[in-house]
Amino acid sequence: MSLLPSIKEPTPANARKAGTEETPLALRVEGLTKRFAGVTANDGVDFELEVGEIHCLFGENGAGKSTLSACIFGFCTPDAGQIVVRGQPVEMHSPRDAIKLGIGMVHQHFVLVPEFTVLENIIVGTQKSGWRLDDRAARQKLKSLCDAYGIEIDLDAYVWELAVGRQQWVEILKALYLDVQILILDEPTAVLTPDESARLFAIMRKMCANGMSIILITHKVAEVMQSNRVTVLRKGKAVATVQTKDTSPEELARLMVGREVSFSVNKSTVAPGDTVLEVSGLGARGYWNEAVLNQVSLSIARHEILGIAGVAGNGQKELFEVLSGVRWSREGTIRLNGEDVSRLTPRAMMDRGVGHIPDDRFREGLVGPFSIAENLILGWQRNAKYRSGLFLDRGKIAALSKTMMARYQIAARDDEVPVENLSGGNAQKVILAREFLHSSGLLLANQPTRGLDIGVIEYVYAQLLQKREEGFAILLASEELSDLFNLADRIAVMFKGEIVGVVDPKTATVEEVGMLMAGRRMEAGR
Amino acid sequence: MIRIERRIDANPWWTAGTLVAALAAGMLASALIVATAGADPFEAFRTLFFGAFGSQKAVMTTLIKSTPLILTGLATVIAFRAQIWSIGQEGQVFAGAMAGYLGSQILAGLPPLLFFPGVILFGVAGGLLLGGACAILKTRFGVNEIVSTVMTNYLAIYLLSYLLAGGPWAEIGDGASYQQSVPLPAAEQLPLLFGTKLHIGVLLPFVAAICCAVMLDRTALGYEIKALGTNPVALGHKGTNIARTIIAVMCISGGLAALAGVIELYGVGHRLKADNLVGLGYAGIIVGMIGGLRPLGTVLAGLLFGGLASGAVSMRVVSDIPASLVPAMQGIILLFVLCASVMARYKIVRGTAS
Repeated sequence: MSLLPSIKEPTPANARKAGTEETPLALRVEGLTKRFAGVTANDGVDFELEVGEIHCLFGENGAGKSTLSACIFGFCTPDAGQIVVRGQPVEMHSPRDAIKLGIGMVHQHFVLVPEFTVLENIIVGTQKSGWRLDDRAARQKLKSLCDAYGIEIDLDAYVWELAVGRQQWVEILKALYLDVQILILDEPTAVLTPDESARLFAIMRKMCANGMSIILITHKVAEVMQSNRVTVLRKGKAVATVQTKDTSPEELARLMVGREVSFSVNKSTVAPGDTVLEVSGLGARGYWNEAVLNQVSLSIARHEILGIAGVAGNGQKELFEVLSGVRWSREGTIRLNGEDVSRLTPRAMMDRGVGHIPDDRFREGLVGPFSIAENLILGWQRNAKYRSGLFLDRGKIAALSKTMMARYQIAARDDEVPVENLSGGNAQKVILAREFLHSSGLLLANQPTRGLDIGVIEYVYAQLLQKREEGFAILLASEELSDLFNLADRIAVMFKGEIVGVVDPKTATVEEVGMLMAGRRMEAGR
Repeated sequence: MIRIERRIDANPWWTAGTLVAALAAGMLASALIVATAGADPFEAFRTLFFGAFGSQKAVMTTLIKSTPLILTGLATVIAFRAQIWSIGQEGQVFAGAMAGYLGSQILAGLPPLLFFPGVILFGVAGGLLLGGACAILKTRFGVNEIVSTVMTNYLAIYLLSYLLAGGPWAEIGDGASYQQSVPLPAAEQLPLLFGTKLHIGVLLPFVAAICCAVMLDRTALGYEIKALGTNPVALGHKGTNIARTIIAVMCISGGLAALAGVIELYGVGHRLKADNLVGLGYAGIIVGMIGGLRPLGTVLAGLLFGGLASGAVSMRVVSDIPASLVPAMQGIILLFVLCASVMARYKIVRGTAS
């Protein structure tokens, strides 16, 4: 079989259809169906991309966004239906075919070589230059592209030197360099500050003005609202395509979930009580002895949620690791209800009622092949509650998991299902159930809504607020500012291992927090 | 079009089927080797089978031969389930035999009811210490357990060689050139079961396998071992002391392998020498793997390998087929079973693509 795309002659019907369109179509997908091992990921999806538009693919995790884009980019071959590029039906067998057709994709996880420079990353694999790379022409072209689009990047910097947000520019530059006409962006703003994401949208608009077309995959409502059109996917079907200007976030959320969603959070007004956690002057070093936490001080009281805002990688993870006992600090003290707990093990912290919801739930919070029941006792397997004599009390553990699955609405066939087969939302519920059950007083929640669907996020909100009402002190880090503005009583912003400002969500604006996240300190200090 | 897809749920029938197919394929491949060697494969398998299971005596030999293999297999299961790649079973068998022999010198003269448990404890302690030492190297200094256990294998093997080649435990006189100790007095040999030729040690692997199965399945330690093998990060984050778990695993694994050594010494060899011990630890790795890293599977695999070993003896006696064919067969079967364990995770689908 040839690797070249087999381009069929346009049928009269197609030709006529394309001819009568007002705006020429960059891409059309007709009745695309794709199944994986009995699961229908895409079910008769129709999708149209006009030249020069930003078209959002919007939907929950597992709604079929990724599958659809994988088919358009040649990763998957559809089981039924066809893809028409600029009026011509095509059959793609690999991304190579897609690139030949002028389709490019920026993946959620970048595919860059860290040890190469920006320039090398862009031209490697794209040039037919034999053994030696001739980069003069490429450099010229990239320079002019950077100027045209206002992308500031040092072409000779090594990729590992760049912040994650900047690596995104490399990917985009690569697409521009390849003269891509249709660009698929998969959740491009997951790693960007609000400011960076605004710049990304500015660049995207310029690209569209130059005749490119962009497919933007996202599950963030705020981003969708900046596009031209939106196609909402739900359970593998395209349920609606709407003009963005004619719709509202509420309508989109309803289309995505299939029911009404309330964004407003019912937050009771409880006065904070006694201080539970008091951290002062905390400092920690990373693997290369670099400072990952520097002079971090904070305190949380009963009935209080302290939010931590910041772009990933600015010390949030290390802060949570130190507080949960996984990592030891170099300096500073941690006091829990007055007791110095600066150098305690995770075990000792857990025994003092500290619950921890880790950001990487499958790596740090769950044992994949273990059942829901077994994961519910992870860390407490030696507790007398779950034992009878020398043995684990299976009856008691099974009873517990039945109760928890009902209380936390964990959707699974039964409690023997390995958690690695659960969706992200259900897996997160297992962690919530375990941590809520075994903790008292302090809850450390790092990115508890990451990658979750709106329905589950609502649920997590409600649970955290309930714990707040019960008298828990909660430390909540999130990259989603909406989480923090909805839940937190105060928001501390982290940048490069430091807390650069603390704001009141009732008075602060998203822009203010965004500036702090980008490293601009508050004028008034802390 | 036929495609191969990953299975989402394991199907026990399919797993069993692939295993049987692998054994059959292993036999077939072995038959080809026998045929190329110029012998009659049917004859070879017939003598092998009768030598393994064909008579009461053959079954007893099989049981005796499989005893140490099951124990070293279980040692492998405990370590590998925790993803600790200990291949120190060989050295731990030697350590068990040496420590057990040391026990006989200290405990000599005690009544059997105290003597045998006593020397067995001595032997187990020997392997436990050797495994534990590697665990401490791993947890304190980050020494890879594969390296350290291979090295301690050499240590144990050459220590025995030193002790027996003109060393303190060497037999003096006629047997001096054999690198062996003096034979144990009859009172210090493991008693036989109900007038059979079976020493009572053959019961131990079954007891040990049940204990291991219960431990892995029903206790907090077993939970920790399995979690250590699948997600040590989560286990550690949730408050379990990883270093302590690793030490426990390697001590238990070392103790089980050492048990094989001390039982061989008191039940079969009746004197300390390397010939009885060599290869038991390495074969145990294969037995544990073929047993699917499950205690009860390991019992079956151990019986199979014990049968092959017992059949090899009769093959050597009855026919002119070289007994060294048997280790080759063991290797071939392992390769096929490993392939089968991968196969078991996939299924064959008759095409549905467009």
